[in-house]
Amino acid sequence: MRAHRWFTPYLLVVPALALFTFAVLGPVMATGVFSFYEWDGFGVFTPVGFDNYVRAISDPIFRASFVHVAIYIALTIVLEVGAGLFLAGMVTSRPKGTGFFRVAFFIPVMLPLVVVAVVWGFVYNPDFGLINGALEAIGLGSLTNVWLGDTRTALIAVSIVSGWVFAGFFMAIFYAAINQIPSEISEAARIDGASEIQTFWKVKVPMIRNVIEIAILLAVTGGFQSFDLFFVLTNGGPYGATEIPTTYLVKVVFRNQNVGYGSAMAMVMTATVLAMGAVYMWVRKRADVEGGTA
Amino acid sequence: MQTTSSKRGNRRRFGVLTGILVLVLALVAAACSSSDGDSGSDGDSGSDDGGPVTLRVAMGSPGEAQIAVWEAAKVSFEASNPNVTIEYNFQDDDLYETIGLPNLLNGGDAPDVYFEWAGERLQNRYNEGFVADITDAVNDGELGSYFDAGAYNGMVIDGKNVMVPGNADVTTVMWYNVDIFSELGLSVPTTWDEMITASETIKAADIVPIAIGNKDLWPVGNWASHILSRAIGEETYDKMLKQEIPLDAPEVVAGMGYIVELQETGIVNESANAIDDNEGAELFFQGKAAMHPIGSWLVSWAIESAPDLNFDYFNLPAMEGEGTQDSVIAVATGYVVNAKSDHIDVAVDFLTLFSSPEFTGQMVEAGGTPLATGALDRDDIDSRTLSLMEMMQSAGALVAPPDTGYDIEVADALYAAEAEVLGGVSTPEEALAVAQAKLGG
Amino acid sequence: MKRLIGSRAVFFTVMGVLAAIYTLPLMWMVMSSFKTNSEIFSSPLSLPTSIDFSTWVDAWVVGNLGRYVFNSLFVTSSSVLVILVFSALAAYAFSVFDFNGKGILFAMFALGLLMPIQSYFIAQNSLFELLSIKGHRWTLIVPYAAMGIPLAIYLLKVYLDGVPRQLFDAARIDGASDMRMFRVLVLPMLRPGLATVAVFSILATWNEFLLALLYVTNDAYKTIPTGLLAFSSRYVTDYQLLFSALTIVTLPMIAIYVIFHRQVIAGITDGSLK
Repeated sequence: MRAHRWFTPYLLVVPALALFTFAVLGPVMATGVFSFYEWDGFGVFTPVGFDNYVRAISDPIFRASFVHVAIYIALTIVLEVGAGLFLAGMVTSRPKGTGFFRVAFFIPVMLPLVVVAVVWGFVYNPDFGLINGALEAIGLGSLTNVWLGDTRTALIAVSIVSGWVFAGFFMAIFYAAINQIPSEISEAARIDGASEIQTFWKVKVPMIRNVIEIAILLAVTGGFQSFDLFFVLTNGGPYGATEIPTTYLVKVVFRNQNVGYGSAMAMVMTATVLAMGAVYMWVRKRADVEGGTA
Repeated sequence: MQTTSSKRGNRRRFGVLTGILVLVLALVAAACSSSDGDSGSDGDSGSDDGGPVTLRVAMGSPGEAQIAVWEAAKVSFEASNPNVTIEYNFQDDDLYETIGLPNLLNGGDAPDVYFEWAGERLQNRYNEGFVADITDAVNDGELGSYFDAGAYNGMVIDGKNVMVPGNADVTTVMWYNVDIFSELGLSVPTTWDEMITASETIKAADIVPIAIGNKDLWPVGNWASHILSRAIGEETYDKMLKQEIPLDAPEVVAGMGYIVELQETGIVNESANAIDDNEGAELFFQGKAAMHPIGSWLVSWAIESAPDLNFDYFNLPAMEGEGTQDSVIAVATGYVVNAKSDHIDVAVDFLTLFSSPEFTGQMVEAGGTPLATGALDRDDIDSRTLSLMEMMQSAGALVAPPDTGYDIEVADALYAAEAEVLGGVSTPEEALAVAQAKLGG
Repeated sequence: MKRLIGSRAVFFTVMGVLAAIYTLPLMWMVMSSFKTNSEIFSSPLSLPTSIDFSTWVDAWVVGNLGRYVFNSLFVTSSSVLVILVFSALAAYAFSVFDFNGKGILFAMFALGLLMPIQSYFIAQNSLFELLSIKGHRWTLIVPYAAMGIPLAIYLLKVYLDGVPRQLFDAARIDGASDMRMFRVLVLPMLRPGLATVAVFSILATWNEFLLALLYVTNDAYKTIPTGLLAFSSRYVTDYQLLFSALTIVTLPMIAIYVIFHRQVIAGITDGSLK
């Protein structure tokens, strides 16, 4: 439809566009420009061509940070999306009496980060903590560990906290999706003699496949941008074992005042996220085409 | 596809949400209009002539006992300067030292007065233009009368006084639990080997010999760097941190042998690299560890957290190395007036009041080690604090900590290497080579 | 019948364990707020010897916690309001009208859907410093609203696209102006969509941490996430006070969630799946 007055659509879009351009799009482009300069945030700009990108690609910490975040994302797909699916399966397996659980599982999503950090800091604390305390109490003292200080366990430990926080979020999404499946379908499966578990895996899960894919996309792009949990739990340690791109970026830009170099790293990360989005779209499209011919 | 009933549900939901939003905004609007009076002072500038002035003071958290002294100074200053409001910003120390202060200085509410370490860091702030010249106040005014000339070490740049001396912080000594030592019949070690032997006795008694919380790397960084300076000599240490010789020079690698010894004997808490400095201190406060290598501020913390703990300190014991074996690792700190402040005179007046014997005395009681002369001639001073100050004055050499005395990127690289060696994940050769590689080979 | 009882027992055992994992850390936080420092460290799992709420009061008063709560409410509600108004207008234009440049403009917002925060916060920080946007009560509203707009426009457009075009044509024939059409037709149709956007935006801004850490350093304007961080670093060694502060900020939030959980869940599911 054409607007009454030709300029109406533009007037309608301008407020959102102005704010978005000012605070997001403009800074994206400015970050791109910064990445070709050496700049400490307040002095002079020195053009350096692609030097910052060359440095980023050959920086061992930056490269390692991508490996760490990839492991973290893989773990969170299990601990957030997988666990969320499991929880959704549990709470949808019964028609009643699950309200309390649905509320309880979602609570961590809204907690202030410092609460999560302080509470889990104590859970993992090697000397006073709950896990080691519990292990000692049941005679498994030999299994105690310095959970956040051991390079083998630190990343897993952070991922578990992440799972604790976000599994409830994904449960909520899956719960709603499963409830939209017409009840006749699962009824039919049950009459055919399928157990609750079989109905879940063979009937319900395939029917919410799209939702699961979206959840994975959210976990992947969200995981790539995570910062808070790492910042307060380990801040990159021990020995750099939990350094992820964002924590390293904040150190480079705000601690070492290396804005130009940080901007180049930011651009590399942006390209990575956009590439992941593109891959998802491509996979989706292929799946749709196959689905159409089948 | 949505059903009609869920649409109705959505509408109700929308009504509730709109209601909440409107309510909150109405509350906020009311609060904003009522607080306009005081927030108006944020924006106005250059009004030292009686108009309302907000003086912002920023520092890493000095602990509750010392915060109380700052609060007392605020009350006193505001009473005699009714137009001035003092606002403190006590940040987490690690945050402050790293991204906190630069972020504050570049932000809209930049502090008028801020805490800083003398030396390289002060020089950086000076180069960035955040340091006011207070030479006149020091030479002519009351402020200068509170300090001896020696207090300004590292606080004069280009012949100008640029910092009001604060505390002399010994950044690491060995604090020890007197009761544990006497129960086990141990005496204060005077050599490195005696310390190792004592630690093994303590370990046999199922107590952690030495506890430290090194998540943020500077605690072991200061301690291990002091050990390193004893081993390789102050001159080599200085050259290494100025990058005149690489971090992985053979003599440095050899000096790290002492850290390897700490790791191999297992006398440092296994959790060292996982917990932060507060949690490390808590191990010591709770009597789970016999020794705790950290700075002079522990006295101030203990006043609040472990008032009954019977503890004392000894300096890092003598070792067989190139360095001065009674050296002390210490850094002078102080308060800088922001050159960009609109209230430089008010800031100087406030710091003058804070440096007066009245508040210097209170700082001493709160476990501080002030550089102002008012501190030393008191008899109610904590004996440990007094002896720390005397130890520093009589030390054969003062060693500057890497993170405050030198380039932060070099310090970070060295600290990471020291943590890795202490944690047993790398040999000195590997760790130092990686550290040097981070700095561009 | 027997099998059903067995499975019910299994079900509630598994769920009970899960619920414990989810709630025990929080219960432990509340418990610790009634214990002294040395009790917390020497017997972390014991029950408090007495229940004394005075530390809660202390924490509220010395920590000035009310201020952080107020700032969070202000920043969140203002950001959400800006997002709702701006996005509803833009979604109306994108869904209903044809105009030159529509494709490219919409593509710009679509790009914003994927843009990670890393891609702009460095330059955003420099820009905000340059323009003295940092350090005000309203500072965070700017980036929060801007960040929320792309998803809001997208969701609202999806909602509006579901409205039959004949309705708009009929209104046009009746002589409704562009703005009148927005008021009488679009806004009522958008209500469920706006509720979804509101829930999504509240969740996204309420706990935002990185920008809050960088842009608001003045204690008077800090929101809950950074305010509690400031509290925890100022009272670093007083764990009882810290746990009291965390408890009194957290409990009301949980209570509000329990009351509105249906709305919240409906909002995030609509928002994620559209």
